[in-house]
Amino acid sequence: MRRTGRAGRAALLVVAALVVAGCSTAPSSSTALSAQGLTQADDGWYGLPLTVERSLPDVTLTTTSGRPFRLDTELAGGPTLLFFGYSSCPDICPVHLASIASAMEQTRTRYDQVRVVFVSVDPARDTPERIDTFLDHFDDRMIGLHAALPVVEEALTQLDLPGPIVEGPDPRGEGDLIGHPAQVIGFDAEGRARRVWPFGTRRSDWVADLPRIVADWSA
Amino acid sequence: MNVAWWCSSNPGQVWTWRYTPFVGVWLAAAALLGLYLGAHRRAGRPVDPRLLRRWVAGVAVMAVVSEWPLGALGAGYLATVGIGRYIALTFVVAPLLLSAIPTWLLDRWLPHGSARWTATRWLTRWPVALLVFNAVLFGTHLPVAIDTLKVYQVGSFAVDAAHLLAGLVWWFPAMRREADRGAIREPLRAFYLFASSILMFVPATFLAFSPLPLYGLYELAPPLWLGFDPVRDQQLAGVLMNVVGGLALWTVIAIGFMRWARAEERADLEARRAAGRSAAG
Repeated sequence: MRRTGRAGRAALLVVAALVVAGCSTAPSSSTALSAQGLTQADDGWYGLPLTVERSLPDVTLTTTSGRPFRLDTELAGGPTLLFFGYSSCPDICPVHLASIASAMEQTRTRYDQVRVVFVSVDPARDTPERIDTFLDHFDDRMIGLHAALPVVEEALTQLDLPGPIVEGPDPRGEGDLIGHPAQVIGFDAEGRARRVWPFGTRRSDWVADLPRIVADWSA
Repeated sequence: MNVAWWCSSNPGQVWTWRYTPFVGVWLAAAALLGLYLGAHRRAGRPVDPRLLRRWVAGVAVMAVVSEWPLGALGAGYLATVGIGRYIALTFVVAPLLLSAIPTWLLDRWLPHGSARWTATRWLTRWPVALLVFNAVLFGTHLPVAIDTLKVYQVGSFAVDAAHLLAGLVWWFPAMRREADRGAIREPLRAFYLFASSILMFVPATFLAFSPLPLYGLYELAPPLWLGFDPVRDQQLAGVLMNVVGGLALWTVIAIGFMRWARAEERADLEARRAAGRSAAG
């Protein structure tokens, strides 16, 4: 009986140690709050509809080849997915862009059918070469744009979005982390913002929505 | 629906290659070693170095796959490492720990007639063990289970614990030699192991051939390096489960079956010799 009690206490110790090892309510990765993805609405879309009217900002940025690029005129005539991010972003930006690139490939959506535009919010670090290298990891047909910070902030303001904020050092030792809006904004052929896809959008959500974008939002 | 509208380092954890010790793992490892050695000391029995090596190896593998970086990577970043940890806990740690327990110690930990003995006896009957193992295998690899449980460390720990316990239950009838504890012999043992290896192909095939990432957890995890696609990661995980998991099992099956065949052959030869001798006499 005494032996059993000791063994039991030892087993309890093991269990307690294992619980110490595992017991924490902290998410195990940064995906934790968004692993569930979007839910399909009654209209069949996963992207969330916008309740306010917004359109492509009338600001002029610069392509990675140095050409001026005015958002509202250059992107008129076809659907656009617009995302503000930065190439040193450790999580949300690469995940979003990889999901879109993969879904475009899977649904055989051409980049002239849906333009995918990446605007850097980190002009200090994001040189044209760096933006190109970053986008090449996903698809080199994505359009990379940059501009001085006030121009980028103006574009965000016109979309009712907050500007980028320096949030402190990147734990990887790659300069600072920059906070910025995490949603991809979808514009129709007339330049009207129609839906948004926040971080948490799964590749399967894009696979469902891309054909709708082409069918419903093209000119 | 949980989504993020602001790209920020908070509340996420950006992956870095900076060592982050997981103290609980070392406490658990120390407790397991203490439990084993303490049981020998209390019983006044010498420690069999061969068995101790197995116990230490099992504990060491458990610690390695639970500590940084494998523990963290498997829990929230890479499906390949997640499956690798499952294979390690189920096919390496569980059999090592189980084979390190001498019969007298098993009798002390699970005394005949006790509630623990009854529960273990029932759980480790081979059809029940086969069911438990595969229920845990399928249940813990469902996307809804991974995306619900593994997003929190306590859930991740529960999944690991389920894998280890299911591994112990499943290996028990195949590895233990005590007939009164439900040990099985060839050819039933070979069938038992083979059945599980075949069933394991089901989740492995889903992983290897799904065109979309199955798990939001790994799909939306911060990438360790740019260009590494979650579908590739998932395919590798499926291949790992199929090849390494299947191969490990088939090796065990082949070795066990060959030993059994040799023993049967020797017994048959002996019987024929004995018959020949009695006929000549």
